[in-house]
Amino acid sequence: MSAPATAPTADTFDTRVAAALADRNLKLAVERTAGTAEAKRTLAVDAFPDFEAARDRAAAIKDHVVANLGHYLERFEANATAAGAKVHWARTAQEACDIVIGLCKAANAKSVARSKSMLGEEIGLPHALAEAGIVRIETDLAEHIIQLSGERPSHIIWPAMHKTREQVSALFKTSHRNPHVEESIAAMAESARRHLREGMLAADVGISGANFLVADTGAVCTVTNEGNAELSLVPPRMHIVTAGIEKIVPSTGHAVHMLRMLSRSATGAPLSQYTTFYTGPKRPGDRDGPEEMHIVLVDNGRTAMREDGLVEMLRCIRCGACMNHCVVFRQIGGHAYGGTYPGPMGAVLTPAFDGLKQSRDLPNACTLNGKCQEVCPVRIPLPTLLRGWREKSWREGLEPASLRSGLGAWAWFARRPRLYRAATAAALRSMRLMGRSGWLSKLPLAGGWTRYRDMPKPPAESFMAQYKKGRRA
Amino acid sequence: MNARDAILARLTGTATRAAIDGEAATLLIAPERPPVDPAALEDSFLARLAVPSVAATVDAVAGFADLPAAVARYCADQGLARSLCTPPDPRLEAGDWSGFDRHATAAPDEPVALAIARCGVAETGSLVFETAPEAPMLPNFLALHHIVVVPQVVAYLEDAVLAGTHPRAHYWVTGVSGTTDIEGTYVRGAHGPRFLHVIRLG
Repeated sequence: MSAPATAPTADTFDTRVAAALADRNLKLAVERTAGTAEAKRTLAVDAFPDFEAARDRAAAIKDHVVANLGHYLERFEANATAAGAKVHWARTAQEACDIVIGLCKAANAKSVARSKSMLGEEIGLPHALAEAGIVRIETDLAEHIIQLSGERPSHIIWPAMHKTREQVSALFKTSHRNPHVEESIAAMAESARRHLREGMLAADVGISGANFLVADTGAVCTVTNEGNAELSLVPPRMHIVTAGIEKIVPSTGHAVHMLRMLSRSATGAPLSQYTTFYTGPKRPGDRDGPEEMHIVLVDNGRTAMREDGLVEMLRCIRCGACMNHCVVFRQIGGHAYGGTYPGPMGAVLTPAFDGLKQSRDLPNACTLNGKCQEVCPVRIPLPTLLRGWREKSWREGLEPASLRSGLGAWAWFARRPRLYRAATAAALRSMRLMGRSGWLSKLPLAGGWTRYRDMPKPPAESFMAQYKKGRRA
Repeated sequence: MNARDAILARLTGTATRAAIDGEAATLLIAPERPPVDPAALEDSFLARLAVPSVAATVDAVAGFADLPAAVARYCADQGLARSLCTPPDPRLEAGDWSGFDRHATAAPDEPVALAIARCGVAETGSLVFETAPEAPMLPNFLALHHIVVVPQVVAYLEDAVLAGTHPRAHYWVTGVSGTTDIEGTYVRGAHGPRFLHVIRLG
C-alpha cells in the first residue's frame, strides 16, 4: 500500500494545479481545515502575553543550535548512548532507509507500527518497508486514511485534509474487519480505533520521528493529539526513531519554549494532548517499554542547506502555519505541490531535496504577499528564500525560452527610455481599440492570462505621461 | 569516511563549550509564557482542566486512604464496574480496595486505568508522569477512562521537569486522546482515553 504517486495521472505542476482547481470537494475541504486552524491560531496568539518576543526567542534558539550543530549532535549522541540507545548516522535518504530496514530485519520484524513522521515520508520509508516485505501499520488516523487510499499526505499536520467524510467512510467499510454502521465521524473514528489497536499491540517494531532531540539528556520528544505515538512505541520490542539533524534543542527548557510555539502555531492549542520524552530503552524493573531503542540521525541535504544560503530553513519546526495562511495553498491544496512538503515551506524545501530543475515552478507559484513569514513561529524569511530560488533558476538557465526572450525584449526597451515610452503609448492606443467595454477579454500573446480573467481597459495615457503633464500644469 | 564523520566534518565550529553553554543559558532568561498567579495555582489548574480541549472531571480527597471511595464514586457515576488497572505503587495500599477487581496489566480493551501523576501544571492543565517499575506507561494510553491522582500542582511546564532525573519516559497528558483528522471535526477517544478524571490529593 505504498503507491508513490498521488494525484491521478498528473505529472507536471500545471496539470496538478488544473486538476486541483477543478476539484470542488478539495477547495471545501482545504478551506474548512486551514480556515479553522487560522482562526484558532489567531485566538491563541492574541491570548499569549508577547508572542512577537517569543518568536524572536524561538528563532534565536534554532539559530544557536544550527550554528553549533556539530557540537550538539555529538552531545546528543553521547547522552542518548549513555541512556542505552544506539545512535546511527545517515548522509542520504537511501542510507537512512537501509539502516531502518536492516534493524527491522535483524529484529525479524513482520510488522511495524508507524507514528506519523514527515521525515519518514521525506526519505521514502513507506516504500522501503514495502519493498522489504514488512507490513506497515500507520497509526495516526489521517495517515491510516491515506495509506488505505494509496496517497501521500496533503498537509504536514492534517495529511488527509483533502478527504471528505463520505470518502473516508467508503475506505473504512472496504478495509476494516468490523467497520462502523452509523454514518458519523465519531463512529468512523471508533472503527479505526478497533482496527488499529490490534495492529499496534502486535507490532514487532515501532517507528517514529522526533519533534525535538534534547542534547543534554539524549531524549527524543514526540507530540501527538491521538496518543498513537505512545501506543505504537511502548508495546513493540524495538523503537526506531528517524530524525533530521536540525531537530536538536540544547535542553528540555528550550524544548518547552519551542513546544509552546509549535502547538499554538499548528492548532491553536496551548499544548498538544500528549507530549513524551523518551530516554533510552526499558530500564531494569520497568513493566513496559522497548528492549532496544535506535535513533537514526538523517542529514539528507541539511548540511548543504546550511552551506548554500538556506540556513534559516533549518529553523523550521513543521507546524504548518505557513501553508494554513497561504493564499495559493488554500486554492490548490497540498498534492499539487508534488513534493513531500507542501505550501511555502515545501516550495523552499522541495527544490533542495528534488532539484531545482524538477521543481522550479514551486518558488514561482507564490504571490510574495508575505503572510507565511508573518505567522512563522521561528521567523523564516520564506518569501526571500523563494526569491532566492527564482534568481538561481534564472542564473542557471532553467526558465523557459519564451520567458527569457520576453524578459530580454522588455529589458532592451526598458534601457532605452524614449523608445520605451513611445512603445508604451502605442501599446496603450491599440489596447484601447481592442476593448469595446471597460474590459479586455483577449490579448495577443497573453491567452493563458485572459483565459481565466479580463484585463481592465488601460487609460489613454501612461503613468509617466500623466505625471509629466501634472508637473507642467 | 563513515556517515557520522562525514556529517560532523561539515559542521565543525570554533565556539568553546563554555561559550555555547553560556549562550544557551541566556536564551532561557525570562521566557515569554502565559501568566500564572503563584497565589492561585490551584484555581488556575482547575480552570485549565475545564477548557473544552481538556474537559476533565474533578474530585478531591484528603489522602491515599480515601482514594477507593473516590474511585467508587466515579465508577458509580459513569455506570462502570469496579474493575480497574492500577500501578504497583505502594502508596495505593493505604486504602481499602475490597470490592474492587484490581489488576496490574491492562487488557487491550481495558475500561479503566488509575495512575498517580508526579504533579499537575497550572499553565496548561497538564498531568506529568514518569515511568518507573511502580509506574508503567501503557495502561494510561489503553484504557477508555483515565483516572489520575494529582498530589501537587506546579506553575509552569519548566517546573515539571526535575533537574537531574531522566526516567525512561517523561510525559505530559493534557486532556484525552483526540483527533480532528476527518473534516476537521473534533472526536474524543481517537486511540487512547475518551474520559479523564482527576482526583486532587491533599
